[in-house]
Amino acid sequence: MHHRLACNKHHQKKTKKKKRIMAAARRLKRVIASQPGFLNLKSTSDPADLVSSRRKRVNKNKKKNWNKHSDINDVEEFLEDVRLQERTTGGLLSEKSDDSLFFLDIGQPKKTEETAAEPVERKRKKKASRPLRIDLILQHDSLVPPPKDVLAYQQPNAKKIRRIAQKAEQLAAKGVVPRRQKQLLKRRPVAKTTKKAVTEANNNPDREYYDIWGLETKDSGDPWYLQQTGKKLVKRPERLNEKPSVLPAVEVIAPGGSYNPDIFSHQALLQEAHEVEVKKQKEEDKIERQLAVNKADTATEETIFREQVEGLVEEENEEETVHNEDEEDVAVGGIALGEKKTERQRKREKAVRIKEQQRLAERRQTGQRQQLFQLRSIKVSIRQQEQKTKAKQKQRKAKQEAQKAQPRRLGRLKFQAPDLEVQLSDELAGTLRRLKPEGSVAKDRFKSLQKRNLIEPRERAKFKRRYKLKYVEKRAFREIT
Amino acid sequence: MGGIQKKKFERGSATNYITRNKARKKLQLSLPDFRRLCILKGIYPHEPKHKKKVNKGSTAPRTFYLLKDIRFLLHEPIVGKFRDYKVFVRKLKKAYGKTEWSTVERLRENKPTYKLDHVIKERYPTFIDALRDIDDALCMCFLFSTFARTGKCHVQTIQLCRRLTVEWMNYVIASRALRKVFISIKGLYYQAEVMGQLVTWLVPYQFSHDHPTDVDYRVMATFTELYTTLLGFVNFRLYHSLNLLYPPKLDSKAVSELKEDNEDDYAMNSECYIEKLSALSASLARVVSTAEEEEAELDQFPVDGEDMEKMEAREKEQKWQEAQKKLFEGLKIFLNREVPRESLAFVIRCFGGNVSWDKSVCIGSTYEVTDETITHHIVDRPSIDKQYINRYYIQPQWVYDCVNAKILLPVEDYFLGVTLPPHLSPFVEEKDGDYIPPEKLKIMALQRGEKPAHEQEEDSEEEDEQSEDEEDEDDEEEVDEEEDAEEENLKKMEEQKSRGKSPQVKVTPGKVKVENPARLEQEEKAEEKRLAIMMMNKKEKYLYDKIMFGKKRKVREANKLAAKRKAYDNAEKAKKKKTRK
Repeated sequence: MHHRLACNKHHQKKTKKKKRIMAAARRLKRVIASQPGFLNLKSTSDPADLVSSRRKRVNKNKKKNWNKHSDINDVEEFLEDVRLQERTTGGLLSEKSDDSLFFLDIGQPKKTEETAAEPVERKRKKKASRPLRIDLILQHDSLVPPPKDVLAYQQPNAKKIRRIAQKAEQLAAKGVVPRRQKQLLKRRPVAKTTKKAVTEANNNPDREYYDIWGLETKDSGDPWYLQQTGKKLVKRPERLNEKPSVLPAVEVIAPGGSYNPDIFSHQALLQEAHEVEVKKQKEEDKIERQLAVNKADTATEETIFREQVEGLVEEENEEETVHNEDEEDVAVGGIALGEKKTERQRKREKAVRIKEQQRLAERRQTGQRQQLFQLRSIKVSIRQQEQKTKAKQKQRKAKQEAQKAQPRRLGRLKFQAPDLEVQLSDELAGTLRRLKPEGSVAKDRFKSLQKRNLIEPRERAKFKRRYKLKYVEKRAFREIT
Repeated sequence: MGGIQKKKFERGSATNYITRNKARKKLQLSLPDFRRLCILKGIYPHEPKHKKKVNKGSTAPRTFYLLKDIRFLLHEPIVGKFRDYKVFVRKLKKAYGKTEWSTVERLRENKPTYKLDHVIKERYPTFIDALRDIDDALCMCFLFSTFARTGKCHVQTIQLCRRLTVEWMNYVIASRALRKVFISIKGLYYQAEVMGQLVTWLVPYQFSHDHPTDVDYRVMATFTELYTTLLGFVNFRLYHSLNLLYPPKLDSKAVSELKEDNEDDYAMNSECYIEKLSALSASLARVVSTAEEEEAELDQFPVDGEDMEKMEAREKEQKWQEAQKKLFEGLKIFLNREVPRESLAFVIRCFGGNVSWDKSVCIGSTYEVTDETITHHIVDRPSIDKQYINRYYIQPQWVYDCVNAKILLPVEDYFLGVTLPPHLSPFVEEKDGDYIPPEKLKIMALQRGEKPAHEQEEDSEEEDEQSEDEEDEDDEEEVDEEEDAEEENLKKMEEQKSRGKSPQVKVTPGKVKVENPARLEQEEKAEEKRLAIMMMNKKEKYLYDKIMFGKKRKVREANKLAAKRKAYDNAEKAKKKKTRK
């Protein structure tokens, strides 16, 4: 509290002091103005103007009213004038010497001779040296020098700091190291290398490599411990080292794809590309054909009329159909009805059944007995069958092998073979310089990955706007129209 | 009978598979993260044999994974890192929203990252496994290294890819492993033999990218992430196998040669070194500097009889390969500015040639155009103003064709303004009886050491060859064939007469027919074969006839194509003559 009060007091004192100083300056300036030598830049306003309204009566025993009602226009004007003079001329005009204010007019200087001497060069120079208008506008045009920033030269606790620095110098000269520094020195350097290794990205162009296959795996501890703490790498199953396709990584383009091909190989490649195109075209045509409108399905006048009239004209067919349905129902019900078999009938049927079974069994037995004499033909037929199965197995295996080279169906989309890279005979460049590359290697690699079943074929995700765009006319735009 | 009723889809294939979404939920990952994980770990979707059983009675197409695979993924430490990353992003967003910059900085510093080293080791247990799968990695890295440094992927990835591909090319140069090159309309195909494995890769042409929209760059970037790691480790191992320093260093001699005053014009100091490396013009520093690699000789084993022959053949092959590796040795080649510099420099250096280019084209040029010792100047424009007498001005295809033919081809066909012979694919391997284009036949003849002759003779040569081929196939009719050939020659002469041309008259001194023991032996063999055929039973005979018929048909077709080609060539020639007139 005390401190704050003191502060306030101090502040008040300061303001008072300031006021006093300002008043002194004002007085001085007014004194100057009253002197006959002082020049006013602005013409003084008419005193009659100032006292145009009726004079107000106010109590002057209050400070508040002094400030409110005393007329300080003349002072303000005067001060404004002084400032203007200082700004434009760099000081009061009255204090300037005559030489700096006036000059002797000798008439027109002899321009013609000078201009005749070097007219062209001068012109050019002038143009080059003329500053930009924007710079002129932004130029500092007041002649009053900017006030010095006192704080820039002051330093809090300057004396103390100076003293400390001096002492430190003395100690350093003696060779005494301060405690703080000693502690810093004592501190172990942080192992920066380890940290760097952690944050190194995989694609760092200066990354280091080492002999990964030469190093024996270092056994850094008990395998049981490693396994239990999840630090041991799980062995990769052998199955994963098989490639999902037998195709080579790089399929070399056919010889017709040379930049300067042999005519036949080029023709062969063209033929291949042509066949692919024809196939595509056929499929397209097929779809078009299927989509084509059937002429018979189009509405004619007659059908239109019939449609319009439908239901208006009564027809007798309906009743007939109803009758038919009833009859059918009766027939269906009739199936369920049946006459019961008599005991005798059942017995007879059973006897017949048994007899039939016996007959068949006997027949089988005789057949088996007979087969003894057919051994040879049986053997032949067995062999034939075996051969057949073998052939089929072979076929199936061959098919499987062929399938291995084919792209599999791995997702929603089927693999689509890229277009063959082909240059027509008139596109072929005779020389390497004029060669225009066909196709894109990036696409080729990407398709190759898909073809070898390493990734599933996908299509680019379509951008879907969640909300509809709203059109809002901007105000600035509306104002123009 | 009786017992508890079996429920559907609780055993069998239905339990072996899991749908993608379920797998994702089991791993608690978002779909992009799940995809990344699968790619990195090499877990691929699987098409079940009986979809209806697996899909609980529905036949809707879905993506399935094997349940065991997903269980295996559960143990992967990277999964945890993915989850950490998710949390990191969330925190970072929050800090940004609150404009807490110190927090942002702290979070950034502790950004969770993961390593793929263990994945590489796990997926490729041995170095050879990795080499077998390097094709893909190379293609991807070469592709990414040509991308413009725009927003398609991280600039760092592009830089890393560039570094790795440059390292790979330098290795191929140092080991002289390149075998085939093919300039196609799509890009450049290279094939190298590295440690006995054939490695093929595709390099896109420079500046030919329009980014296709139907390529998922996120997936591609994930593959690249894996492959850069793989390629780096493979490079390391390969460099060490040749005793080269691994982060590759230029030879000290080369460094001093390449030192130039105005280096700063090309690149910043930090990038200068890799630029020089990628210029491919200097050799690399070795760990133990040996003057010259001593030729490793095949070990000699005491063998007898048939093995001896094989051994000799192998030795011959070895020598031939060694010679091929030094194809361009001693040649001093200069590249004009319009030819593809990197590709040509790579190929030429792979076969020991010296190569340079204009200073303003690229850093690392070793000599200038004015050098008198240049032997070949590769130009790809119709004509050139200032020509030096003591060098050949040839088109770039010559280099590639030489590599594929494994010999230095005659330069006449490749001079400036000359219509080039077709660039044949070295990846096609013709079986006997297939149609072989005449250009290839010519090259084959050159390989055998025969001199190229005038065209007319060439034609007859071709025919001879074909007849030779036929001879090989069916020796039984050898004699008849010969007669046929003679008849053909006669017919041809007659034809030429009828056309009004004077037949080439050659007077050859008569020869005494000598009983040739080798010939006799051959005849004997043929006789034996004929007898063997006679002794075949019905079934075998049928099979044999079938095979022979197939072969003959092939030959017939090839002959037809050859005739067609000849007709075409003649037509072209006639056209040319007309235009000349």
